[in-house]
Amino acid sequence: MEWVLFFERGFWFGMAAVGFAVLFNVPVRTLLAVFIMAAAGGLTRTLMLQYEANIIVSTLVGAMLIGVMSILFAHKKHAPPPVFAIPAVIPMVPGILAYKMTLGLLNLAGDLHQETYSQILSETVNNGLKVMLILMSLAGGVKVPMLLTRKESAKEIRFKKRL
Amino acid sequence: MKEKDKIDINALGATLLDVGALLMISGASTGRIRNTISRIAASFGCNADMLISQRTLMLNVHNGKDDRFFNSLKRTSVHGINFSVLSGISRMSWLIAEKNWTIAEVNLEVKRLAGLPHYPRAWVLILVGIAGAAFCRLAGGGLFDMFMVFLGSLLGLAVRQKAAKMRFNPYICVYFAALTSALIAGIPLKFGIGDAQEHAFATSVLFLIPGVPLINSFSDMIDGNLQNGLIRGLNGFMISFTIALGLFTVMFIYQF
Repeated sequence: MEWVLFFERGFWFGMAAVGFAVLFNVPVRTLLAVFIMAAAGGLTRTLMLQYEANIIVSTLVGAMLIGVMSILFAHKKHAPPPVFAIPAVIPMVPGILAYKMTLGLLNLAGDLHQETYSQILSETVNNGLKVMLILMSLAGGVKVPMLLTRKESAKEIRFKKRL
Repeated sequence: MKEKDKIDINALGATLLDVGALLMISGASTGRIRNTISRIAASFGCNADMLISQRTLMLNVHNGKDDRFFNSLKRTSVHGINFSVLSGISRMSWLIAEKNWTIAEVNLEVKRLAGLPHYPRAWVLILVGIAGAAFCRLAGGGLFDMFMVFLGSLLGLAVRQKAAKMRFNPYICVYFAALTSALIAGIPLKFGIGDAQEHAFATSVLFLIPGVPLINSFSDMIDGNLQNGLIRGLNGFMISFTIALGLFTVMFIYQF
């Protein structure tokens, strides 16, 4: 992929996240951080997909990156991690797949021949499972840093080792 | 002295319930609400136990020294996500212990946070429109598709806000919004203008996705708050279903 196109994607990931951040009324000081996190997470996923990684694994890695960055920014900008992380992962929500799934479900409710029915059924189940697993990896990836450090609050997480 | 303590625990309980309800409607996860309430109660030397659900909070405050306690329920109002409040309360909960705030000071801060201004409406509409266009671009749409999605998202959100102001059921508000967006973004597909327009139609409703309920649902579940997690997930599912219903209505109108 061309680099210009690649970074253009990053820009749109960021803009989508900022739109949601404003909708969720985040503090102004966190907007830039949300943009950077969404771009970084989204580009990580794009890059992994480029090297033919599985979409679910790529999403999980992107979300984990956002999770780690959310704790860094939480210290820097004095706001809880979810304030950064939730708007930042939303651009990775699989909208087209979810659309295809709903369309498939609607088709399945109609009168179909046996062959087309099983074809649509398998496509719909495939899309639906992808949607579900991607959503779970988004939500789970964001939570990974908190789970690994076993702390109740991001304030207690230190990045430097204490002697 | 004793009389003063008695007033203290009642005032503290009422304040804690206010804080909890505010956190709940602003989109905090159950674990966050419980931690924040316990932290504030602890800095006043009390113990707080809570039963947290989507629409009601139940709180019991006691200080362990005598047999007095505060016990009450509070209903939460309609949920409206507001992360400025979340951030403000989180900061406050740490400041209370550091600066030895009184309950009156806490009440004042809660009042200030609840009244914090939102972004100007025009900005929200435009940025959400751009977010919709961004979704369209990420899905592979062209410039014209992006413009239609921008228009659709912008007007869809305006309709949702208007419907919410007219006190329609929240799900119906989402339905109206999805209907508006899809009707606008479906125009090119219906009349054959431009190319690759299915992207526009599919991404026009994405600004409605229930991101906060779904992510909080997972957070709650993994924290062991299974009941709250299930309820939040169901709420997210209902919103998604309403969006799909809006799309189907438009597909029926346009005969796709």
